[in-house]
Amino acid sequence: MDDSHDALERALFALPLEEPPAGLRASILMATAYRPAPAFSVWELALLGALGAIGIWLVVLLALGGGSLFFQTLSTIGSVAARALSNAATLAWLAAGGATALWLSLFTGSQPLLATPYRSQGRASR
Amino acid sequence: MNAEPEDGNLVALTLRGNPDAFATLVVRYDRAVYHLAYRTLHDVEEARDATQEAFFKAFRSLRTFRPGSKFSTWIFAIAYHACCDRLNRRKRYASEELPERADSAPGPEQQAIALDEATRLRAAIDALPEKYRTVITLFHLQGKQYEEIASVLGLPMGTVKTHLFRAKEQLRRLLGEAEVTES
Repeated sequence: MDDSHDALERALFALPLEEPPAGLRASILMATAYRPAPAFSVWELALLGALGAIGIWLVVLLALGGGSLFFQTLSTIGSVAARALSNAATLAWLAAGGATALWLSLFTGSQPLLATPYRSQGRASR
Repeated sequence: MNAEPEDGNLVALTLRGNPDAFATLVVRYDRAVYHLAYRTLHDVEEARDATQEAFFKAFRSLRTFRPGSKFSTWIFAIAYHACCDRLNRRKRYASEELPERADSAPGPEQQAIALDEATRLRAAIDALPEKYRTVITLFHLQGKQYEEIASVLGLPMGTVKTHLFRAKEQLRRLLGEAEVTES
């Protein structure tokens, strides 16, 4: 009986692995280690989005009220921002928000933090 | 002579931004993971998808890999759970419709008649119930590392040994029947 046990185990360990379909390895590598870097990083996208939104808003201001409303609004925003950023509580909330966003990015399935993606040839390194 | 880097070192290199390190891990384990997926799912396309999904999940959650543990056990566990999800989906669809997933290859009984020993053994493994088939496949991939097999399947070691014993008994019976059929 021991012989049949050993023979079966030998046969099992000698069994070659299934041949995977052609292209499987390449597709895995392209989806993981060698995935193309996105055109913009998350922070760049957020900044572009914010700038775009501000730009549209200012254009609408100009369209509605002309130059005087535009400059008046800019002046108001500037003074409010200056007051807010000189306030310790506001800075603390901004820091808390930024830290939370950073912490959440660890769990969202985006690329591992601090692990830079593979950069394709066409994109200059920063 | 340069020794091959250990899996743990490759994981650490990947986390430091070296894509070639993860590529080495893929090359090392893609066949074994596909083998496990195919043996579990019996479908080339689903096995390919499950294999890709397993490596993708592993890459995304590489930071959660515990240093000191075995990468092979980890990736096999991810692959096995991906296969289980697919099997569960298949069972759900089976209650609503009858998907024709069987490939056109001859069934296990017909294949068992073939003279090639590897073919007969594969056919016998295919004829096992899913839980025995998976444990035999992992036994083939990881040898007598029962703890690793138990870790992949999420089962107690005693259960793994029992499943393995019964799987081997069934294999011997199936292979014996195949020999009788041939004669």
